Amino acid sequence: MNNQYGNKQDEATVMGFEVPRSPDSSYNNVYPGSEDEARDPPVVPPHLHHPLLSYPASRETPPGSLPLPQNVILNHLYIENRETPRSVVALGFTHRFRSKYVTVVLYKPVPRRGSSSN
Amino acid sequence: MSPMEGCPTVFQVICSLSPGYHQYKFYVDGEWRYDEHQPCVRGNYDVVNSVLITREPSSMDIDDGFNHPQEMVTPASISVADIDVSRHRISTFLSTHTAYELLPESGKVIALDVNLPVKQAFHILHEQGIPVAPLWDFCKGQFVGILSALDFILILRELGNHGSNLTEEELETHTISAWKEGKMHLSRQMDGNARSYPRHLIHAGPYDSLKDVAIKILQSKVATVPIIHSSSQDGSFPQILHLATLSGILKCICRNFKHSSSSLPVLQQPIYSIRVGTWVQEIAEVNGQPSTMKRPFAMLNKNASLGDALSLLVQAEVSSIPIVDENYSLVDIYSRSDITALAKDKAYAQIHLDQLSILQALQLGQDANHTYGFLNGQRCHMCLRSDPLHKVMEQLANPGVRRLVIVEAGSKRVEGIISLSDVFRFLLGV
Repeated sequence: MNNQYGNKQDEATVMGFEVPRSPDSSYNNVYPGSEDEARDPPVVPPHLHHPLLSYPASRETPPGSLPLPQNVILNHLYIENRETPRSVVALGFTHRFRSKYVTVVLYKPVPRRGSSSN
Repeated sequence: MSPMEGCPTVFQVICSLSPGYHQYKFYVDGEWRYDEHQPCVRGNYDVVNSVLITREPSSMDIDDGFNHPQEMVTPASISVADIDVSRHRISTFLSTHTAYELLPESGKVIALDVNLPVKQAFHILHEQGIPVAPLWDFCKGQFVGILSALDFILILRELGNHGSNLTEEELETHTISAWKEGKMHLSRQMDGNARSYPRHLIHAGPYDSLKDVAIKILQSKVATVPIIHSSSQDGSFPQILHLATLSGILKCICRNFKHSSSSLPVLQQPIYSIRVGTWVQEIAEVNGQPSTMKRPFAMLNKNASLGDALSLLVQAEVSSIPIVDENYSLVDIYSRSDITALAKDKAYAQIHLDQLSILQALQLGQDANHTYGFLNGQRCHMCLRSDPLHKVMEQLANPGVRRLVIVEAGSKRVEGIISLSDVFRFLLGV
């Protein structure tokens, strides 16, 4: 309110033509929030919900063989969804080599928070 | 192709084909055509090809479809020339096909980070029902080794060994890489003269020939060779495609020669006459000289302890031991890969190796969701000494079957063992 810069007290003012002060409510100093950040991230498209990773090893088919994957799941990295206190996480990935498909599952240790790393 | 004489509208060509399964098609006036009067097969992308199965012409042609000729009651002794012909054909087949053919249409490979604790690793092997897993090192960006049942056996024995440096708690955090380092150190101390443990992972590429892969497996005395592909020259960013085993290669051989078994005369021979495998007693003489057994046949009584079994597996350097009763009749078989059953309910923490009998240890694995080693719900796969080689090969081509116990009909007395590597050494002549 106190105009510290360019104090124009000496300037002649004309009654009725003074510059009105800004309304108080416009001085709330709130950061402009992006509405996008308030929303949840977009849902995973439904066709990505069917990787080959959840197929248990069956006795009939030869071990290590799975049904053919859908093209849409190729080259997508999947992370196993388990409860938090897990020391191992499984990463899964299906890719194509020539005309055959390979699904690789890699088990990786999860570094615990606060533990010293080697 | 050239026109036939006297009939200018018919074309002929003579091609030399090896015995086996072939697909063919005609290119007529700019268009691919197949002969509708011949048997045909529909492949990928709706491509239809005609099928020709060539057989070796034989004088005794008992034509009952594509079956093998009738088994002879008294097998004629096979000539060296016949063995050579069979070996040559198999060698040619293996040299002209690549490891890519071993890959299933949609396959799965389970790998482990080399910094996983050993305990976790064996739980994973047990849960997933796999006998071995390749090891990945994130820092190096490479596959650096394989974790197998033998590692677990050595760890357990070290734990049971009172001079062990590893306590139970340390086992929780002991990583695979630390274990492998220690193992290499230990082996260098003990084996002054014997084979050195490989420092680099033994692997093959998808374009290597099946013959190279088989020889690599036999020479390195491993069971599994990972097939790794890298699209760059320096081998960076490797992709693991498959874990190749002798049984996969054998399956390729059986599939190819299934319809032309007469082209491999040695396959009709009973196994005792060609002396494949390891036998308890000498059956026949070799070249008129009685051959000496290289080492005694490893067998265990069913009351033996698990500790005895593990020690024998390591010392005799075999992958399985038949378990017999007092009459040497087969009761069960204990293989290296059965060790992962101890991961169930952390049994390894509670047992003492010398107090648990082998049969009890096997009981642990029965209830588990174990697909490995089972075929038709059977653990022990047997054969007779009179079985022809092709029958043994077909059994061994099943995944999970790595050896057959040769038993006497009726009494199930153990006479010997024939394994995948025995068969391959014989077929490749190494």
